[in-house]
Amino acid sequence: MARQDPPAAAPQKRGQADPLGTNSEIGRKLKQYYDDLVSDEVPDRFAALLSQLADAEPAKKKD
Amino acid sequence: MAVSAAFKADLLAAIPSLRAFGVSLSQNADKADDLVQETLVKAWDKHESFQPGTNLKAWLFTILRNEFYSQMRKRGREVQDSDGIMTARLAVHPSQHGQLDLKDFRAALEQLPEDQREAIILIGASGFSYEEAAEICDCAVGTIKSRVSRARTRLQDILQISGEAEFGPDAISSQVMGSSAA
Repeated sequence: MARQDPPAAAPQKRGQADPLGTNSEIGRKLKQYYDDLVSDEVPDRFAALLSQLADAEPAKKKD
Repeated sequence: MAVSAAFKADLLAAIPSLRAFGVSLSQNADKADDLVQETLVKAWDKHESFQPGTNLKAWLFTILRNEFYSQMRKRGREVQDSDGIMTARLAVHPSQHGQLDLKDFRAALEQLPEDQREAIILIGASGFSYEEAAEICDCAVGTIKSRVSRARTRLQDILQISGEAEFGPDAISSQVMGSSAA
């Protein structure tokens, strides 16, 4: 705990000993797992929901 | 109105990531979609509390995460304990060529306690910085770092990946000390 990170001077993003970088098997699998989920097709109901919310919006913010 | 149209478009664009995060947290596609739905509704209601120019994705992830934990509390389901009892029992054997497949990885990830799983997902997959992840999880940056590191060690144990070369001494000592680390 005695260790202090340098105050955001050119934040090394996740540089050097990047524990989850592309050289790491775990890092690679993690991204593969997640990208797989992200590329899943989005059901239409979410777009429908947003349209519904957008239509209803004027009703908000009234005392 | 123009503002809400833009906001709507931004929310729409964020849905794939939100669903991925939802599945990562809840380990269940249906629950994840419920979480996303709640998140969208809440985000819409709280629209005005979002500060333009700040990270919308982080803001949305925060809402989704809060929703997840509040649902979990409501269901009275206790948060998985953080000790490696399960882990020890359920080691996954990597396939012959040492390449572990995604199915094994998924199973391993599922065994992590929520706090570790969300940390390693946010940092290692969603592309957030440690600072952003700390905000999303409402904890210190150091906490996120230690969760990520414990998650990684844990996954290595479960998947029986021997110390990855780039870690050198660290990996070796964690092998020697086994789960007594953390």
